[in-house]
Amino acid sequence: MTQLAIREKVLVELAESVVALDEARAIAAAEAALHEGIDAYDAIQEGLLAGMNRAGQLFEEQEYFVPELLVASDAMYAGLSILRPHIRPESFEIPAKVVIGVVEGDTHDVGKNLVRIILQTKGFEVLDLGRDVAPAKFVDNAIEIGADVIALSTLMTTTMVNMDETINLLEGRGVREQFKVIVGGSPLSKGYADRIRANGYARDAISAAELVKRLLQPEAVAIAG
Amino acid sequence: MTTDTSPKERLLRVLQKKPVDRPPVLCVGGMMNAAVIDVMEKSGNRLPEAYSDAGQLSALARDVSRFTGFENLALPFCMTLEAEMLGSAVELGTAASEAKVTKEAFTSVRDATIPKLDRVPDGSRAERVLLAIERTAAVESDNPVVGSLTGPISTSASLVDPITFLKELHKDHEGAHRVIDSVTHALMLFARAMVDSGVDVIAISDPTATGEILGPRAFSEYALRYLNDLADQIHQLGVPVIMHICGDISSVEGLVAQLHTDATSTDAAVNLAKFKARHPQVTTMGNTSTYTLQFGSAEQVFRHTRQLVQQGVDIIAPACGLSTSTPLSNIQALTNAAKES
Repeated sequence: MTQLAIREKVLVELAESVVALDEARAIAAAEAALHEGIDAYDAIQEGLLAGMNRAGQLFEEQEYFVPELLVASDAMYAGLSILRPHIRPESFEIPAKVVIGVVEGDTHDVGKNLVRIILQTKGFEVLDLGRDVAPAKFVDNAIEIGADVIALSTLMTTTMVNMDETINLLEGRGVREQFKVIVGGSPLSKGYADRIRANGYARDAISAAELVKRLLQPEAVAIAG
Repeated sequence: MTTDTSPKERLLRVLQKKPVDRPPVLCVGGMMNAAVIDVMEKSGNRLPEAYSDAGQLSALARDVSRFTGFENLALPFCMTLEAEMLGSAVELGTAASEAKVTKEAFTSVRDATIPKLDRVPDGSRAERVLLAIERTAAVESDNPVVGSLTGPISTSASLVDPITFLKELHKDHEGAHRVIDSVTHALMLFARAMVDSGVDVIAISDPTATGEILGPRAFSEYALRYLNDLADQIHQLGVPVIMHICGDISSVEGLVAQLHTDATSTDAAVNLAKFKARHPQVTTMGNTSTYTLQFGSAEQVFRHTRQLVQQGVDIIAPACGLSTSTPLSNIQALTNAAKES
């Protein structure tokens, strides 16, 4: 087999191990990639992340559901743990940063975890603050890491108001314009997002990732000059 | 049917698929808690303080029904009693923010040993709720008393770290079945105690068991099996069962229609008229948007609810959990719309 054919075979195996939800296979494929001298960054991008993207597509097509997507991400992370230490520093690009969490008063984090996984598969750097996160914690962490996006999640109608509080706090500290704030969760709607002056609302994890991409696109220059 | 049908009679007739003069209007407690702030202020009995005293719980249940116009009494006001009884840490929240699980008892189904209870623990919050049900049932002859129960999948996901639990539904079928089966036993113990205390109906809400989260395979393997298991056992006690399924049910609609319920309640995302047309054997319940209830006008709520009545929805109810900041006037618009014949 030519070097190129071997490379292709290993990358396909990496991707397939994720789609097949198989951690052990992902680890074996990652080790094979290193053994064959495939660049670790390429193995992640063209192997593991390609597989995770496919799993995300299957999720969108309602072929996979939450349990499958979570297990796919476990397989991806298992492979990543092998490959990450071998990435050459010059491969790094500076990714956009997202701070994500479930707002204070709410401990339901399934939806938030899905959004985190999908964002990570799209190459964003995500700081996950977990659940029951106070407004000040969102703001402090976003400032500290120089986040581009703050993503707020809640499942409970009773805690929606803490999204509002977080935006109020950003405004109160005069840093609102530094961040795009997006909100999601089953009791929410575009109407609610507009009402609390969020930059966007997404109804599921896939559209949340698209929303983040759209919000971070450099605005088109209308007038040449 | 005469117009002096009592709300209890009307509800029980609907659940037996017998004709009635108009649909009953319900709010079944648990995640469908109608003890909103407006009601607690008028009542003077407030959450979470009321949980310390059966008398206050019973008075609050009465006041919810009296002020809102819902034609039932419902206990409890949250969906954490079951997980608390089985070992998870619960924070009771505030008047504005309902009780929630703060720490699940187990990290994985592998290390989960669900306690085998032979009775609802003495001095527990669950026991006070049972006492409150007893008091309520003793004085309410015309209004049905609904005991609200959290379903087996949601309770399991409140006992085992929910993300790990969801993965294990895929990775460890045996372990997942073992946990959900033990949880279903414990839920049946609580349901039986509620029946012994005098509830007329058991309402099960299982918000983790949705088509959107589980998909058809896991919904069929776990949710349908254990929800039906529970419903069958409750039916053996001679008590009807209502179930609420959250979210968009399109991926599991055929399975939802197979639930052994006497009425099926759905979220606002579901068109109940179409659902009913496809599954005429199902008694439907719902589904006035809780967003409209919170942010819309009383006129909008009234109009929306009248539509549901005209479409032939069998029991009128909010579509999901009400925000505690929902204005009482909007809830009254909902109940009035159902009662207008």
